Amino acid sequence: MDYLTQGSKRQIYLDHNATTPPDAEVLARISDWARDWGNPSSIHQAGRGPKARLRDARAAVASMVGATNLEIIFTSCGSESNSTAILGSLQALRRRGDLRRHILSSHLEHPSIRRNLESLKADGYAIEYVPVDRSGLLSAQAFSSRIRPGETVLISCMLVNNETGVIQPVKEIVQAAKLSGVLVHTDAVQALGKIPVNLAELGVDYASFAGHKFYSLRGAGVLFARKGAPLEPLIQGGGQERGRRGGTENTMAIAALGYMCTRQTEVVERSQKMAKLRDHFEARALSEIKAVTVTGSQSPRVGSTSSLLIPGIDGETLLMSLDMEGIAVSTGAACSSGSPEPSPVLLAMGLTREEAQCSLRVGVGWSTTKEEIDCFVEVLKKVVHRLRGLRGWEVSSPRPELMASPEIEVLNA
Amino acid sequence: MPSEMNVGSNVGGIDRAAIGPDGRRRRVLVAMSGGVDSSVAAALLVEQGYDVVGVTMQVWDYTSCDIDEGNGTCCSSLDVDDARAVADRLDFPFYVANCEAKFKASVIDPFVEGYLKGQTPLPCVNCNTFLKFDHLITRMKELDCDFLATGHYAKIEPGVDGRPTIVTSDDGWKDQTYFLFTIEPEVIPRLMFPIGHLNKSEVRKIAEEKNLLVARKKDSTGICFVGNLGYSNFIASQVSPDRLVGGKIRLHPSGEILGDHQGIHHFTYGQRKGLGIATRSERTESEAPLFVLRIDPETRDVWVGEESFLFSSTVKVRDARFLGAFESGERLKVKIRYAHKGAYGRVHAQADGSLEVEFEEAVRAITPGQAAVFYRDSQLVGGGWIP
Repeated sequence: MDYLTQGSKRQIYLDHNATTPPDAEVLARISDWARDWGNPSSIHQAGRGPKARLRDARAAVASMVGATNLEIIFTSCGSESNSTAILGSLQALRRRGDLRRHILSSHLEHPSIRRNLESLKADGYAIEYVPVDRSGLLSAQAFSSRIRPGETVLISCMLVNNETGVIQPVKEIVQAAKLSGVLVHTDAVQALGKIPVNLAELGVDYASFAGHKFYSLRGAGVLFARKGAPLEPLIQGGGQERGRRGGTENTMAIAALGYMCTRQTEVVERSQKMAKLRDHFEARALSEIKAVTVTGSQSPRVGSTSSLLIPGIDGETLLMSLDMEGIAVSTGAACSSGSPEPSPVLLAMGLTREEAQCSLRVGVGWSTTKEEIDCFVEVLKKVVHRLRGLRGWEVSSPRPELMASPEIEVLNA
Repeated sequence: MPSEMNVGSNVGGIDRAAIGPDGRRRRVLVAMSGGVDSSVAAALLVEQGYDVVGVTMQVWDYTSCDIDEGNGTCCSSLDVDDARAVADRLDFPFYVANCEAKFKASVIDPFVEGYLKGQTPLPCVNCNTFLKFDHLITRMKELDCDFLATGHYAKIEPGVDGRPTIVTSDDGWKDQTYFLFTIEPEVIPRLMFPIGHLNKSEVRKIAEEKNLLVARKKDSTGICFVGNLGYSNFIASQVSPDRLVGGKIRLHPSGEILGDHQGIHHFTYGQRKGLGIATRSERTESEAPLFVLRIDPETRDVWVGEESFLFSSTVKVRDARFLGAFESGERLKVKIRYAHKGAYGRVHAQADGSLEVEFEEAVRAITPGQAAVFYRDSQLVGGGWIP
C-alpha cells in the first residue's frame, strides 16, 4: 500500500530532502517504460525503444540543467556520480602526468564526497576543508584564498546543502578556480526541482544529480562532465555512456528522470509555492513554540528546507514521537542504520553537540499543502510541550505547567 | 497496576488490563534485541491488545569487531534487522535508539578496567542499570508509553505489602533476576516481563506458532560485544599494550614461582585450564589440579593452588541496592554468579555501609567484579558488588 494513503491513518510526508514520492505522471507511465525492456545497446528491434528512451531522457536532462547531450552521463545514483567525478577526474589527470595533489572541499558535503576525499589521502593527496560558520554559507573567498597555483587540482563544493537548504556561491568559486586552472565539481543533488540550475552559467566542470530527489525513481543518477573535462570511468563495462560508465542502463528510472526534466518550466512556480509554505511553517513555529531558532535563515536558501533547533528536546525522540503521529521528518541526513548521530554538517557549522541533538529538518515538497503544514505545527507543538515538560525544561520566564517535577510524578501517574 | 496486568481477563480478544482508565489502549515500549525472548515478549503484548512500540538500542559499532552476526549475539546490526522484521510482521512502530556513547562509557570502559584490576566484570548489569532501565525508562516516558517491557526471564508479582516486586521466573534454569538487582524500586510498577511465566521451550514454540523468523535463533550466551574475539583479545583491542604486561604465576601458600603469564586479563577466579604452566607432578609431590585462587593487580601475581583454598564462608559486598525492605542479619539465599544455584547465609550491614554475608556452607570461587544477589524465597531483594 502507498505510504501516503495507508488506511485511514494520517500520513504527512515532510522529508523531501531524503527522497521524493514519484510524481503521479511518473507512476502512470512506469509500465510503459518497463515494456521497453530491451537492451539499449542492442542493434536489433528490441533495443530501439529503450535506446530512444535514453536519447529523449538525455536531451531532457541536458536541457533542464543547461548542458549538451554529450555532457550527460547516466549513473545509478548521486553517490556514484559524486564518486566518479572525484576519483575519475583525478585518475585521468594522473595518467596525463598531472602532479597536482591538493584538493579543496568543505565539511558540508555528502559522505560520498567526504569519504572519497579521505580515501585519497592514502594516495598522497592533501585535502583541505574550508571553514564554515553558523550561517551555513561557504565563502568563495575562503576557497580562492586557499588555492595553491600548481598544487590545487580540484574543488568540490555542493550547490545546495541537504540539511539547511543554504545555496552555496559555486559560481564565484568557479571564477576564482578558473584563474588557476583548478577543476570544480558541484554536488547539485539537492538543487534539482528546487531552483533553476544552469551549469553553463555556473561554469563547473562536473555536477551530480539524482532522480529520486526529483519526483522520479531511485536507480538513476546523472553525472555532468563538461566537454573536454578529464574523466575515467569508475565502473568498467561494455562501453556504455561513451565509455564513461559501464553497465546496462536502468532505462526505466532514466526515463522517469527524463520525463520530470520535461517539466522544468514548473520549477519556478513550484518553488515559490513551497517557499510560501515553508515560510508559513517557520513563522508559526517561531511564534508558537518558545526558543525555536532557524539554522541558516540569514543565508540564501532554497524555499523548501527548514532546519530548526528546538531546545529542551531530543531530536531522536521527537522524530519517533512525530512518526507515531503519522508525520515524517528527520533530524538530518537519512542514515542507513536508522540510528541517528548528531549531524556532522551542523557540528561543522559550529553548533554544539547539544544543539545538534535538538535539531529538526523539515523538507517541503511539490505536493505539500497548507493543511498539512498546519496539522504538523499543531502536532509539533503538542509533542514538544510534552517532551519539554518531562525534562522540566523552561525558558527564562517559566510557565507553571512546565515546572512539574518530571520523574516521580510521571511515574506515579 | 501490575497485579491487574497478569490477570488476563479477556474481553473481545483484548485483555482488560491493556485498556487504561481513559479507555485508551495502554502503550508499551518493548526493548527488542532481535532475539527470540524479546520478540515473543512483543508478540504476546500485541496479542493481549497493548499498543506496542519496539525499540532496539544500537550500543556498539559492530563493524569494528569480528562477530559472527546474528548467531546469538545481542543487538548486533543484523539483530537490529531481525527485531525490525518482527515489528513489521506484527505491525507496530519500531525504532533504533543510538546508545553507543553511553554504552561505551557505562558498560565497555568499566568492563575493560575491571579486567585490568584483576576482576571478572559483569557488564550485563551495567547495561541494565544505565541503558535498559534508565535510558529506555526515559524513552518510555518521552514516547508517551505506560510501560517498559523486556524479554527477561523474571516476573513481577505483588509483594506482602501489595507493592509489585520482582520474583524469579518459572524457568529456573533461564531465570535472569540476577541481572536486575539495580532496578530502582519506583520503576517496577512500570515494568513488564511478558515471558517470565514461560520456559524457554514454550517461548520457542510461541515464536514458531507466530511464524517469527527468530524462533530458531541460538540463545544469546556470553557477552554481546566480545563476540568471536574472546575476552583477552577484546581487552587487548581496547587498551594500549603497555597496560597488558605479564607477571608471575605463584603457588599458594608457598609463594613458589611456577611460571610466567601474559597479563592478568587472561585469568579468572576458579579457572583451571589454560594456566600455561608445566604439569603439577613435575614440581610437587601432589597430583591435585591447580586453580586460580587470587589475582593481584598491583604485583600482577596470579596465585594458584588446590581447590580447597577456593572455598570461603564469608563475602563482602559493596554498593548494595535493595528493591524492598531488608533487615540486617536476615537469612537470605545468595547467588554469587549467574550460574550459581544460590547458598543460604545471613546478610549483615557493616558500619562502613557495606554488607557481609556469612554463608551456612562455604561457597566456591567468590570472584571480584561479580555480584552477590539476595533472594527471599523467589523474591529478588537486592544485591551488590563483590570487591
